[in-house]
Amino acid sequence: MPGPRNERWLGLYCPQLPLLAAWQCDPQVPELHAVHGHDRGRHVILHAGAAARRAGVAPGQPLGTALAIAPALQSRPRHSRAEASLLEQLALGAWQASSHVVQAPPDCVLLEIAGSRRLYGGLRPLVETLCANLEQRGLPVRTGSAPVPVTARLFALHGLHAAGRGTMREKLHGLPLSALALDDSQARALSGCGLDRVAQLLRLPAPERARRFGPELNRRLLCLEGRQATPLAAWQPPRRFRLRLELPAASSDSSALLFVFRRAIGRMAHWLDVRDQALTRLRVSLYREDGGGSIPLEVGLSRPGMDEERLLELLALKLEDLELPAAVEAVELSADSTDEHRPPQADLWSGNNRGDAWPALLDRLRARLGEHGLSGLAPEPEHRPEKAWRWVAPGTSSHCEDDRPRPTWLLPVPRPCRRENLRLEEGPERIEVGWWDEQACRRDYFVARDRHGRRLWVFHEHRPREGWFIHGLFDQA
Amino acid sequence: MSVHASLEQLLNRRPDLWRGRARRSLPVAATGLGWLDHGLPGGGWPLGRLTELLPRLSGCGELGLLLPLLARCTQRAEPVVLAGPALVPGPQAMARAGVVLEHLVVVREADEALWAAEQCLKSGLCGSVAVWPPAGRVAEKAVRRLQLAAEQSPGPTFVIYRPDQSPPPSVSALRLGLRPGPEIEVLRSPAGPIDSKRLGPDPEPVIELERYRRHARSAQ
Repeated sequence: MPGPRNERWLGLYCPQLPLLAAWQCDPQVPELHAVHGHDRGRHVILHAGAAARRAGVAPGQPLGTALAIAPALQSRPRHSRAEASLLEQLALGAWQASSHVVQAPPDCVLLEIAGSRRLYGGLRPLVETLCANLEQRGLPVRTGSAPVPVTARLFALHGLHAAGRGTMREKLHGLPLSALALDDSQARALSGCGLDRVAQLLRLPAPERARRFGPELNRRLLCLEGRQATPLAAWQPPRRFRLRLELPAASSDSSALLFVFRRAIGRMAHWLDVRDQALTRLRVSLYREDGGGSIPLEVGLSRPGMDEERLLELLALKLEDLELPAAVEAVELSADSTDEHRPPQADLWSGNNRGDAWPALLDRLRARLGEHGLSGLAPEPEHRPEKAWRWVAPGTSSHCEDDRPRPTWLLPVPRPCRRENLRLEEGPERIEVGWWDEQACRRDYFVARDRHGRRLWVFHEHRPREGWFIHGLFDQA
Repeated sequence: MSVHASLEQLLNRRPDLWRGRARRSLPVAATGLGWLDHGLPGGGWPLGRLTELLPRLSGCGELGLLLPLLARCTQRAEPVVLAGPALVPGPQAMARAGVVLEHLVVVREADEALWAAEQCLKSGLCGSVAVWPPAGRVAEKAVRRLQLAAEQSPGPTFVIYRPDQSPPPSVSALRLGLRPGPEIEVLRSPAGPIDSKRLGPDPEPVIELERYRRHARSAQ
């Protein structure tokens, strides 16, 4: 069934996608670079960079020929997983302009723009904005539009735009048959009949076409003309960001890893932006070349947000600390995010934006010191003095109403001492707790002076062990 | 007159110029303890320079003397960083001294204390930073780095040595030896030698009175 009349589809075609995907993780792409694929047992150039094309390397050439023409050429085999992930990136860019996006692998994305066209004030501004955004993200595209999605894809390959079905058919009829990218046997059969334009093919009666070229061709033509609907799978950006990037060559060099992180974080920033999310925690796995277990890294942010440079700096700090047991062949990033937004707050009194700088500093410190290397302190409502305090996350507010004498310094563990060296000054404060659980204890706390004149916090324990212990030091003037 | 004024201005423009006793006073922060302000050269904790504390034993006032300053900073919501203390600062005592614990950060990783302190100082966000160099010999270079970082921090910066550590040749503005009491000895001061080298709190009359009463009761 034909789709609604007022639809308008925009096709985004990224001709360089295989080339970009194969070379995306190289800090320095060689001037002469290309990507090759398999064709009937031969390596054939799929795509070549601008410099390589100028040197005479052309798509379709066997790799050997290309290397003979340009000996400095570096070519990589096609990487279909990287291409799929780059196509997601393209779809994500399209998602910013429309909520109806369809992926057309390997190198096209289609989006419905009838509604968004009005928002942007016409087709031209929309296409220009979209192309500029994608170009900025390193994905140059060609565009084409038509009321039918399949045709929009075909038009994107040829840079054609058609508003109505009439113009669309006209432009379709003007295309050469080679534009339809038919398989070889069909193409040979068609050219054997002396046909080279789409219009000539359409003039043949449908049953005749089906008999001579197979029923598949008729179905294809019906879809292109918009007389038969094609099933489409609507694409949505994933709920959780996850990206795996493979290094061009396994490496344990942190600058190579950081380059890959830069790529990945750029993409994550785009995803966060499109999904309107703020990052809370970044989880990274480094996959070892030797097949050993992956090495996890985590960066938590004290305040949800996204700052690419800051995040890279945190990752660089983490990497500095890490001793890689083996070279890394791939990295995988996944993001914990929230849709809770807290805009940066400027400090009302001092005028500078320390609201943002302080969490950033804490993140930097935590990246090197670890989660437990940095803490705040809080009193606990507990009678046992060892348990009357705890380490908390910095910035935790607490309340303390204890007005008994408590020392400025606490010993992590009470230390046995000799009663003879002490002069008791204040006390005793009897603490007898824990009879309800297994840790029963009975102590008398005193403030005492030692021979040097320091004020100590000592206790005489009756249970579970008998003896005198130092628990803290008062060093206040 | 005008010649004199311009000469004075020229001299004032160079804080690193040594001018004997008449040296321009360096900016300081009040310690919050009257007797200490009175006794310290400059009248408080120096700003933008290191203050080194050398306690004879641990618990000689290396935290207690700082508490009024820490309380003032945290009450103004300026973060305070204690980097690598050997013992645990008692939260109850700090809270009672007026420290808002929310703004207190303790670096527990003693080996990274110097690095962490340097980051905090460079950020210029902290009201005060106190750092305990990790146990063992303290390199002069490490203290010099701290001094450079301290110049970017608005608050006082303290380097607190462990009792068994000997400090490297000083680049600090102020170096104080601490003994139980607390009794303070000014070992080095930015204004050159000073008259009274030993400082301590005034004997508190309240305690005297209490002692007198106890004495009187026992005599009855």
